Amino acid sequence: MAKMPSLGTPHPNGANGGFKRSESNGRAGLVTVLLVVLSLVMFTVSSHESGSGVFTSMRYGFQTITTPLRMVGAGISAPFVGLGNVYRNLTADEATLTDLEQQNRELQAKNVELEESSQTAQRLQQLLNLQDTYNLQSVAANVIGGSTDSWTRTITLDKGTSGGVDVGMPVFDAYGAVGQVIQVASDSCTVRLLSDENSSVSAMIQSTRAQGMVEGSADGTLHLNLIRTDQEVNVGDVVVTSGLGGVFPKGLPMGKVTSVNKTPGALYYDIVVEPYSTADSYEEVWVVTSLTSDQQASADDIAEADAQQSSGETSTSSDSSSTDGSGSSDSSSSQGSGSSSSTSSSTNSGSSTSTGGSSSASGSDNSSSTSAAG
Amino acid sequence: MQVTDENKNRVASLVMALLCLLLQVGVAPNLGLGEGRMNFALVYAACYALSIGGRRGVLAGFFAGLVYDLCTTGPVGLMAMLLTIMAYVLGIEERNRFADGLPQCLVTFGLGCLAVEVAYHFAMLMVGQASSLTDVLVIRALPSFALTFVVFLPFGYFFARDARGGARTRRVRRPRGGGHYSTKGL
Repeated sequence: MAKMPSLGTPHPNGANGGFKRSESNGRAGLVTVLLVVLSLVMFTVSSHESGSGVFTSMRYGFQTITTPLRMVGAGISAPFVGLGNVYRNLTADEATLTDLEQQNRELQAKNVELEESSQTAQRLQQLLNLQDTYNLQSVAANVIGGSTDSWTRTITLDKGTSGGVDVGMPVFDAYGAVGQVIQVASDSCTVRLLSDENSSVSAMIQSTRAQGMVEGSADGTLHLNLIRTDQEVNVGDVVVTSGLGGVFPKGLPMGKVTSVNKTPGALYYDIVVEPYSTADSYEEVWVVTSLTSDQQASADDIAEADAQQSSGETSTSSDSSSTDGSGSSDSSSSQGSGSSSSTSSSTNSGSSTSTGGSSSASGSDNSSSTSAAG
Repeated sequence: MQVTDENKNRVASLVMALLCLLLQVGVAPNLGLGEGRMNFALVYAACYALSIGGRRGVLAGFFAGLVYDLCTTGPVGLMAMLLTIMAYVLGIEERNRFADGLPQCLVTFGLGCLAVEVAYHFAMLMVGQASSLTDVLVIRALPSFALTFVVFLPFGYFFARDARGGARTRRVRRPRGGGHYSTKGL
């Protein structure tokens, strides 16, 4: 069996043991008195220290030195702490367990609620950021419904004429353009989404400023049309609103190019655009109520669009002459900035789509049947 | 003639000091009873005082108390003073009191431990660290005393066993087959 070594050897009792003991006791007593006095001094001094001093520094150094020991000790005592928890758990009565289960359920529900609030806050912050970035005059609205039929792609908002919303106003969310108001009531409105087959919005490639029209389709995909094949466009290019027509503010993100196809002999690319804003993200949106002058297409923008259209007409006319006047004029009628095709189909009365600019650039944003519901 | 191994005793003293320091710093904060905590500094000072006593015991008590004070956030010097006094009282006979047997040592230690814990927590009440006498005595002092008494048990057992073993080796063994030797002077 292991033998614990003693700390020392006591003084042996001898013939003069009694005298020696009293002498050493005297010394011990003196040392005791001195140490007690020292302790009292230390106690007094340390009590008056606040934040800095000799004993504060000593304590700081002591803690630094003993930190590894604390970590070792925490590891050693962890099983015992765990045993204590096990004991408490084993001896927990039915009432305690029931209470804990109830609390757990409540906390889980609360957690879900808080997570939802957190995500809402994040979305709203993004929405605010976008509003601030583009300095948009707008009103906020919540999406309260979707399409009621399979032929249209629309959403319903909880704002109407009473909230300052009117037909033709563009709608966007935290990620970009969503659509345009096509019907409005006193407390709600219907928004045609960009992916709707009848939707058509003036747009451009952000990097190259190539003008075109983003149109929806029957299957819900977005196509950027009227981009000539002699213009530069690549997969990944960002598509933004051009502002032509004065409906959508200029520069609002719409999506990115996911495919660029060119049919031999075609004048325009077949470009598919993936929208930034999808049905999954439609929760809180902004309805743009008015545009400032710098949010609309400037005269330079219109001139550039006209120039593109003119160069397109020139190339198509030369193409058509080289092809012996074949029936390519139909394609030329749908050339240029893309506005003319929508001009033919849009700008019914009541639509606020044409606000200046040249006729080729006007009336470009959005499509038929924009009527104000009563 | 008695031969003492001072180096061995010093090593043993150092080992025990380090062990108590590890336990005080690492284990005591994590295991408690109510608001009570184990006091390994008190255990070390008591073991030293009961086994050696005298001046060395007093010094051991002072430094053990000082270490305890440095581990806490309270004022420095209070436990040092109390353990100094306790070590002087326990070690006043300057002999190995563990040789008297474990029960006797437990009683001695228990009285000393109780006095130190009550005095310490009462002093903390006087300096404003606590607000209620009941809180001090029932929730802090008594649980601390109980825990410290419990952790002293293994130390006391080994010291007492060592003291009995040492006493046995000092007795002259009577050889088998007869004859006797005088034990006078041993």
